[in-house]
Amino acid sequence: MRRSFVNTESIVVLAGAIFLIVVLPCLNAFTAPQSWLHVSDFTINLYGKYLCYAMLAISVDLLWGYTGLLSLGQALFFSLGGYMMGMYLMRMIGSLGQYREPIPDFLVFLGWSNLPAIWKPFNSFAFAMMMAVLLPGGLAAVFGFLAFRSRIRGVYFAILTQALTYAACLLFFRNSLLMGGNNGFTDFKFIVGYNLNLSATQRGLYICSAVALLFVYLLCKWMTSTKFGKIQRAIRDSETRVLFSGYSTAHFKLFVFVLASLIASLGGVLYVPQVGIINPSEMAPDHSLEAVVWVAVGGRGTLIGPILGAILVNGLKSWATRAYPDMWLLFLGALFIFVTLFMPSGIIGLPGQVRALKKKIQDRGRPAPPSDLTGAAPLPQPVPANSAAAPGRNASKPG
Amino acid sequence: MKFKLLFGALPAFLTVFLAVRAASAAPSAAGESASGTNVIRQELVQAILGGGGQRQALLDKIADSGSGVAAGILSAWTMQEVYLYAAPDGSTIPVTLESQQDAAGTSRAIRIDDGGFLKDASGKELRFGQSDLNAAYTNIRLRRQIQQALDTLALSAADPQARRAAAVKLGYSQKPGYVPILERRLAKERDPAVKKAIHVAIATLQLGGPSAAVQMAAVNELAALKSVGSLDTLTRLAANANNNPQLENRVKAAINSIQEHIRWVQFYGTLFHGISVGSVLLVVALGLAITFGLMGVINMAHGEMIAVGAYTTYVIQNLFGSGFAFSITLPFSIGGKAIAFGLNLPGLNASGWFYQSYFLFAIPLSFLSAALAGLLLERAIIQFLYRRPLESLLATWGVSLALQQIFRMVFGANNVQVSSPNWLLGHFSLDDVSLDYNRVFVVAFAIVIVLGTWILLSKTPLGLLIRAVMQNRDMAGCMGVRTGRVNMLTFAFGSGLAGLAGAFLSQIGNVGPSLGQTYIVDSFMTVVVGGVGNIAGTVYSALGIGTADQVLQQLTGSPVTGKIVSLVAIILFLQWKPGGLFAMRSRSLD
Amino acid sequence: MTSTPPHPEFILLLENVSKSFEGFKAISNLTFYMDAGELRVVIGPNGAGKSTMLDLITGRIRPDAGKIEFGKDTDLTTLSEPAINRLGIGRKFQTPAVYIDHTVFENIRLSLEGSRGLWNALFSRLTAQRRDRIYEILKTVSLDAKSGVKAGALSHGQKQWLEIGMLLAQNPRLLLVDEPAAGMTDEETHKTGELLLSLEGRHSILVIEHDMTFVRQIARKVTVLHQGSVLCEGSVDEVQNDERVREVYLGRKKKDKH
Repeated sequence: MRRSFVNTESIVVLAGAIFLIVVLPCLNAFTAPQSWLHVSDFTINLYGKYLCYAMLAISVDLLWGYTGLLSLGQALFFSLGGYMMGMYLMRMIGSLGQYREPIPDFLVFLGWSNLPAIWKPFNSFAFAMMMAVLLPGGLAAVFGFLAFRSRIRGVYFAILTQALTYAACLLFFRNSLLMGGNNGFTDFKFIVGYNLNLSATQRGLYICSAVALLFVYLLCKWMTSTKFGKIQRAIRDSETRVLFSGYSTAHFKLFVFVLASLIASLGGVLYVPQVGIINPSEMAPDHSLEAVVWVAVGGRGTLIGPILGAILVNGLKSWATRAYPDMWLLFLGALFIFVTLFMPSGIIGLPGQVRALKKKIQDRGRPAPPSDLTGAAPLPQPVPANSAAAPGRNASKPG
Repeated sequence: MKFKLLFGALPAFLTVFLAVRAASAAPSAAGESASGTNVIRQELVQAILGGGGQRQALLDKIADSGSGVAAGILSAWTMQEVYLYAAPDGSTIPVTLESQQDAAGTSRAIRIDDGGFLKDASGKELRFGQSDLNAAYTNIRLRRQIQQALDTLALSAADPQARRAAAVKLGYSQKPGYVPILERRLAKERDPAVKKAIHVAIATLQLGGPSAAVQMAAVNELAALKSVGSLDTLTRLAANANNNPQLENRVKAAINSIQEHIRWVQFYGTLFHGISVGSVLLVVALGLAITFGLMGVINMAHGEMIAVGAYTTYVIQNLFGSGFAFSITLPFSIGGKAIAFGLNLPGLNASGWFYQSYFLFAIPLSFLSAALAGLLLERAIIQFLYRRPLESLLATWGVSLALQQIFRMVFGANNVQVSSPNWLLGHFSLDDVSLDYNRVFVVAFAIVIVLGTWILLSKTPLGLLIRAVMQNRDMAGCMGVRTGRVNMLTFAFGSGLAGLAGAFLSQIGNVGPSLGQTYIVDSFMTVVVGGVGNIAGTVYSALGIGTADQVLQQLTGSPVTGKIVSLVAIILFLQWKPGGLFAMRSRSLD
Repeated sequence: MTSTPPHPEFILLLENVSKSFEGFKAISNLTFYMDAGELRVVIGPNGAGKSTMLDLITGRIRPDAGKIEFGKDTDLTTLSEPAINRLGIGRKFQTPAVYIDHTVFENIRLSLEGSRGLWNALFSRLTAQRRDRIYEILKTVSLDAKSGVKAGALSHGQKQWLEIGMLLAQNPRLLLVDEPAAGMTDEETHKTGELLLSLEGRHSILVIEHDMTFVRQIARKVTVLHQGSVLCEGSVDEVQNDERVREVYLGRKKKDKH
């Protein structure tokens, strides 16, 4: 049964990858705009955005679904990656800005006439990419080290990561940080020599995003299948047991946290040239929570789930914000409540839930159902209760 | 729970608060009697009609009376708005014209001698245009005399605030001629604050001489009084006192002692601001300390419970005023019919003190409405998620989004206006430290609700049940406690406290759909720093964070940097004490 | 207080250990020695400090005062839980702690002695030798037929056994077993007792237990804890006939029910 599941998943992934990496771009490039097969530049751009969000979703899932660490700060790492890419793109504008000055417009506006020192190395694409690894990774390493060392977990971890992204958001709103203040970066022109306004460039970025997503998926797939992945899930279900089995869980959690921050950052790096803007609202606490919704909707603890969730929820959002701009938040809120209450394993878990329900109905007809140890857990709690219980609330027997 | 520690300090706080109220309500100048007014009116008429030396004496006399009527007429006189009516019997009657004019631009004339309207022989009220009458005579010298009389009058006004302001004004006038006037007033003055202001004014005037000895005495006086207002004058004097090194040294010493005083004033000011900001945090976080700290529910919609309270205050305000209405049209239709619903509540159109009292009604109602919202939330969603705290976080975030949108649809996306009742506006000074009424109010408010919460939790049967259920739901259930009901009531209570916070926040900040979002991160941090499950810890951490926030704002010179620094400091603090200030030492497994 | 004097071959030593929680003295001046290879049973009424004692040994909590040593002279009071575990101290919890989302096989695999490092976890593969060892352990705890079943689907007793199996897989020098018979049928309890007895000699075992039938079955030497310190020590019969023990057990039983 397990083997067949792996096979189904591989087929789905293969088909999805071919569709996203090959078919969509070809339909965009080689069909006539009037053809019903044609995929518009707008759609390609939109999907590029969704795929970047999917990477953010995987980073949330790697922590929450696999390790039981709900991080409400993943959008911060996504944005940091985006900002690093943004700094490079700002430098590539050259003197084509509004002020026709060789430094970014907002710096001219702030009264700078020379490039500040922190901006100088960002002429180099390689340096910007290095920073997109070092900055989010370094921040995650420091924060994670402190948090895991003092055994902060569960809701505390969630609240602290939210505070972290909130603090960073406030910081980036400040002009004195020289990161563009609340307007952030925009009006990008070129990336490694290619004109960002050309549809071919956008298509290339889209393909990069799809390939990056596939890479992230395969990496996580491999990692979660190793003993490491099993330890991850063991930490989620019973961290104490793992500790008392001799594993320093803090190291494992730190590794996952840093890796997840890098995946989120990669998403942000590819997101910014496609969307054409990055500003501090991208790291507002709400954004991280939204990413958690995608994971919950798709199905946490799986790798397809977050991808599916990110694409579906954002697709829905794109449609709903146009069709019912006033009601979108109401809808998103309701969706979230519904998923949390009734679909704890998300869309991916839906078939299993339906099977369990069917079985329950059938069993009701039969007298005295035999207890089945191998079957799915009963419906009310198909997903294992999270190890992060509220403090001091567990029944503990003194003595 | 460690309430005892906290409440040791409470009586002291309350005493200060009450003492302050008593001081500001100190006896004011006696009201004007009818016969006194009549005498003054006669004197005014004489002053206006008479001339020369007699006039100065009369003005001095009027000035000492402190009469409000006299002040109005005198200032009208300087503005050439006192007119002379030549009566048919040959007498001249000085009048002022009513400000309300009819279509022809004429208005009724008010007699200065008795305050009644000017009538002709038949008893019909006479009406004049401004050009119909001659203005009473004034010239520069006379106007100066009148002005001095006005200043002196202000010094004997009924309102102590006005008397103080007048004294300060005279002190800055640099006219030593006011010294005797001020001294005369000083002999009669009984209000300590006004007395001090007069002392300062006299000393400030005497800084200019006439003799070095007087100057010296004045400097000493100002130093002793720690007069912040005379710092500029003293600095100027120090710069010009080169020929008198003794005086110069004395002045410099006085400046130093006043600056020292200013530092203390700033210190206490910052402390008070810190405590009041901390009280706001406390009011906001206390509900969370119940729902998150005691129940373990991460209610991301807690901020929206605050907003429910704030909007309730807004609705109550409007019901006391012109009424409240809203209507929503859904953006889709069923069977070709647009779906719309709304509400139109007529207002009481109240005014005056009755309108001002709306806030007293809004306080309990905002508690009730938020408690009701909390109750619904608990029944509909949270009761299914007690064992899944992270999921309760996510579901309640969904609720938060939906509620924000509902606020937007009902009340609009912009902030709504909530006006503070008069009794929350203004401020008073305690030894130069300015205390705003609304800040004092929030401190008192916080004390009251913390006390209330403490009494509820530790002194009532319900409190006992709540604590039992929160410590061990299963065990309490086994003991026959109806845990579902206790959970529901506790959650409603926590939400109600959030509603109270909202009623309060409506008085000091903007009320808008995202009101709750502003406070949610702060309140979670407050509870975490205090130690989850420990309400006394929340009290300390709120006051600590509030004060630290104010101090950091002062040090860094920017509210945002201060905020960032305090957030980072909190994260580092939790390294040192992962369980918060007062960690509950739990012996349970996870 | 009757306590065995230090033995040249002790494996565990607690001397004058104290620990209090917010004023409540859970462990007070506790002195306790265990010989290598010994099977010791610790009994005591509720609140006697039995589980707290295990928490102190395994590094879950730190003592306020006193000495805790393992083997020759390894100080346990400064080490973290995983470090203490790696020294060779395994612990079974009162409520079974297994990885419910993993199969029985994986549960044992994660516990199998060997490297606990991060890179090893990422890049090592399961050797045939280790696989055999896992099946061997599964056989010992009678779960070989369930190796592919998720641990969450096991019965309570099976979970208890699985956890014992996970402990065996660690091959610890000292096993700390907290109420292994809780929630088991009589037959399962008996089998558990035999399993523990079969380990005697190869491992040192400290068992905390309430069930006196079970204690009779396995115990050589029993230590009675009361109010955080040792009340008496001796054979089962000696202990059961001790006046103080009777008083403590019979006198406390009612109050415990609140």
